Amino acid sequence: MLARVANNLYWMGRYIERSEHVARYMHVNYFSSLDAPNELSQDRQFVLRSMKFMVGDPANDPDEILDEIEVLHDLGLNSEKGFSIINNVKSTRENANSARDLISTELYEAINKFYHFVLNYDQDLYVKRGLYDFCVNITEMTTILRGKIRATLLHDEVYAIIMMGMNLERATQIIRIINAKYNDALLARNGYDQDVGKSFEWITLLKCAESYDMMRRFYKKSPSSLSTLEFLILNGSCPRSVMNSLDQVSKHIHVLEKSKNPSKDSAAFFIEKVRAELKFKHIEEIEGNIRDFIETKLNDLVLIADKLEKEFFNY
Amino acid sequence: MITQTNPIFSCYEYNDGLYDEVFNAQGETKELYETLFKLYCGHSIEDYMQLNNKAKSSFFNQGITFQVYGEKETKEKIFPFDLFPRIIGAKEWDHIESGALQRSRALNLFLWDIYHDKKILKDGIVPMDLIGSSANYLQAMIGVDPPGGIYNHVSGTDIIKHSDGEYYVLEDNIRCPSGVSYVVCNRTALKRALFGVFNHYRAHTVTNYAENLLEILQSVKPKGIDFPTCVVITPGMYNSAYYEHSYLAKAMGVELVEGRDLYVENDFVYMKTISGPQKVDVIYRRVDDLFMDPLEFRADSTLGVPGIFAAYRKGNVCLANAPGTGVADDKAVYTYMPQIIKYYLDEEPILNNVHTYHCSRPEELKYVLEHISELVVKPVDESGGYGISIGNKLTKEQIAEVREKIKKEPRKYIAQPIMSLSVHPTYIDESQSFEQRHVDLRTFTLLGDKKDFVLKGGLSRVALQKGNLVVNSSQGGGSKDTWVLKDN
Amino acid sequence: MPLEYSITYSAENHYENLVENAIWQFLIIPEDSDNQSVKDVKFNNSLDSPVSYSENSQGFRTIRVTPGQPFKDISFTASFKLVKEQVNPFDFIPPQDPEKDYSTLESLEFRVDHDSYLRPTSYTTLPINSEPGFQWNREQDIFTNIQELNSWVYEYIKFTPGVTTVETTLEELFKHRKGVCQDFTHLFLALVRKHRIPARYVSGYLHQGSGYFGDSQMHAWAEVYIPRVGWVGFDPTNNLLVGSNHIKVAHGRDYSECSPLTGVLYTLGENRTSHAVQVACQQ
Repeated sequence: MLARVANNLYWMGRYIERSEHVARYMHVNYFSSLDAPNELSQDRQFVLRSMKFMVGDPANDPDEILDEIEVLHDLGLNSEKGFSIINNVKSTRENANSARDLISTELYEAINKFYHFVLNYDQDLYVKRGLYDFCVNITEMTTILRGKIRATLLHDEVYAIIMMGMNLERATQIIRIINAKYNDALLARNGYDQDVGKSFEWITLLKCAESYDMMRRFYKKSPSSLSTLEFLILNGSCPRSVMNSLDQVSKHIHVLEKSKNPSKDSAAFFIEKVRAELKFKHIEEIEGNIRDFIETKLNDLVLIADKLEKEFFNY
Repeated sequence: MITQTNPIFSCYEYNDGLYDEVFNAQGETKELYETLFKLYCGHSIEDYMQLNNKAKSSFFNQGITFQVYGEKETKEKIFPFDLFPRIIGAKEWDHIESGALQRSRALNLFLWDIYHDKKILKDGIVPMDLIGSSANYLQAMIGVDPPGGIYNHVSGTDIIKHSDGEYYVLEDNIRCPSGVSYVVCNRTALKRALFGVFNHYRAHTVTNYAENLLEILQSVKPKGIDFPTCVVITPGMYNSAYYEHSYLAKAMGVELVEGRDLYVENDFVYMKTISGPQKVDVIYRRVDDLFMDPLEFRADSTLGVPGIFAAYRKGNVCLANAPGTGVADDKAVYTYMPQIIKYYLDEEPILNNVHTYHCSRPEELKYVLEHISELVVKPVDESGGYGISIGNKLTKEQIAEVREKIKKEPRKYIAQPIMSLSVHPTYIDESQSFEQRHVDLRTFTLLGDKKDFVLKGGLSRVALQKGNLVVNSSQGGGSKDTWVLKDN
Repeated sequence: MPLEYSITYSAENHYENLVENAIWQFLIIPEDSDNQSVKDVKFNNSLDSPVSYSENSQGFRTIRVTPGQPFKDISFTASFKLVKEQVNPFDFIPPQDPEKDYSTLESLEFRVDHDSYLRPTSYTTLPINSEPGFQWNREQDIFTNIQELNSWVYEYIKFTPGVTTVETTLEELFKHRKGVCQDFTHLFLALVRKHRIPARYVSGYLHQGSGYFGDSQMHAWAEVYIPRVGWVGFDPTNNLLVGSNHIKVAHGRDYSECSPLTGVLYTLGENRTSHAVQVACQQ
């Protein structure tokens, strides 16, 4: 496979995953805030700030009053904002176009429908009353894409590269979401709920990662900071966890990396190293130092991406 | 004017001067179309509209679109497609097929000759000046032996049915002829929309094009290679024919590369893959020849591969079509096609050329000057439709002007009769009914080393503007599925 | 007695901005021919980038360099050693029957065979209605006429570096009548071709011993195809017939097919290039 096309497939995977997480984060936060138990969590400004924080465009001035329509527009359909869903979807399609000869007609058609759906979505309707419909459609369409990827592509290098992109992005997005919600929980602590460990925001966090129900089933009690973080970071059987994502990345890189003993500078070696570190972490270590953990992990993920680029996508 | 009673064709208007492929002068359906006509009559116009919309959205969702660049956003448009197919009977097709193949073979021999011994030029059959002065005659190709001796691996021949019921060739396209992906898409779309009609006809498949193209490409592999690596090279995803490039690569199961994916080392060509360099042996080229190598041709090209021409010259890689084929699809060379066929194949041309009057020849000049109102007058050295006068659209004064122009420099002009393209019933959105529209046919011929192939089908292009004779997609043309029937 | 030449060619390029991606092609290796044989070719570049050898479309050897890393400065040095036979430019039987040769020029076969070198190119197109004033004498044979044309061009243009560039056309040249070897050669080619005689551009090195023009750079001259004789070299810049001091590299229809250095690079901003050539002879 061409290195350039591999790069396109990898980014296609990343953009699909990114669209989904941004969309879900928006609607879950927005709607859970409507009947949140404390005043701050209910505050519209608080939610909008959280959304901006998550996509990496934080509102730094605490006194600034954010305009809801503007924020929703920026995150959803503003093609001038690099982080907007519409730009992620455009990039998904553009990358798919470059690799069009390698992917199935079915997958391409689904991507194309996805693209036209977003491109033709009524901007006015979206900011006024279409938020739920828009976001739910985005997340459902990404699920369709994932299904088409799994069911209509050969599980060869093409598949491995897309999956690496998706899982690397998933790990990144989950960490970013944890970061954003941890930040929210700290802020909300000053209000009604003093104990950050039992914040309402942990439930929202789990919902943002589509993991609330399964978490309840696993722990059989209300989520706390400890159990939530453990579930989303370390639990390998939770499909959204950082651990699970790295397991997937590791599995797929072995399709590309042919040597049994990859060199110490290789992407494969580094992925195993990061994975092993996580495997033998316990949650108390992380919880005490969540900021550091987030920073190191995000750096590790960037380093993995750099190594992949150098090794496989260099053209 | 005769009016049909059936709703779907109820508003169909006949124009006596035109050759209708479906209905005869009495308004009766021709035999070939009888069954089809009855089947279509089973649909109401509303039914039909619904099918038509479905087919459109299917094209749209599959991304079979071309881009229209606007100020802010680029818009995507589908290539308009008509659900009423064109049928060509087995016997008629044999004629077209053998004619197209004959032309491709003759052109190939012609290209070999003008880049080697130049016999046809020395014998004075085709003027040296015509070839030597052509910008498409590549000096760099003189003396180069393309693998398998093939220049025009892919030819697209534009054929029309004139009002006399005979087929005429309008143009041979042997640079990078495009359109074959639409042939396949049209068939797929028609099958999805109206699968029932296929049961009543035995039409040849068109999906075998890609496998034949791959075999042709493999047949012209460089010496010493058993299993050649073939690729398709495209200018990139913003090219208007990108869909076709990706379709062909996918259908052949080969890589779709851009210039930046390839490099040349020691006169061999390699592509950059995730597992390192891989040698490339045959390149199906959808980049214009002058853009293929910035070291040899246009230095400002970013689409090409520096050094690829030297690799080609050495015989280490095959380019299809060969560089320099463009010289043979000039308008002026076209007029010599009957002589070219005779010279190399010692055969009479199977398909008619549109008759050409050379004003340089006194007796032909006389005829032209007397019949300007019935002729199309073209300057021999201009391209892109410049300086063409269509006789029946000229005023008296303009005719006099054209006459003076020709008299002044008779060598500069040729003249041809005004050709009338046949018409085919085509569904028109605005009037929500079928109307007569002019159609042509582009056939696709493949030449390889000891192998050739003519696609049994083709692209029937429709001029959607009433009375318009220009069928190009850039001019708002559409297309139809084209059925070539099996012999009974 | 054969002559032994050693030639060095060097080029230095400086770019205002970092160049990420580039490829150069040099057409500077002397050709191997009946009277000239190359013994040694050395080529170095300051970045130690990979070097490969190929051929251009006329079959002349080229050198290609592709730097593997971004750079702002790069320099190249090439050195060649060759042995050249002493050449007597008048070493052919003078044509006896000029009329026969003139009629050969008109035969279709001859014109088809030499079409490439008979046709004007963008560099060798005479401006419309130009009357440069050279008179062809039909009573004389072709060779004699061309010798006179060679002298005429030599007189017509004043050798002046820095007035013209590699893009100068004949139209501009006629305005100031100043130029360097390319300009002399292009004018000469245009006039020879105008008289329906094949002529081609030659690039190469000139041994500077005798103080000729064009010694510290690559030189250019012309070859003319004379029926019954073959290709004969003329150097209009020096009003000479080509001899042992002329070391040929390549020929083509005009400068564009013989350019010593072709580069394809992706960078914005200014760049400076300088070339130098030295030719030394040991007998």
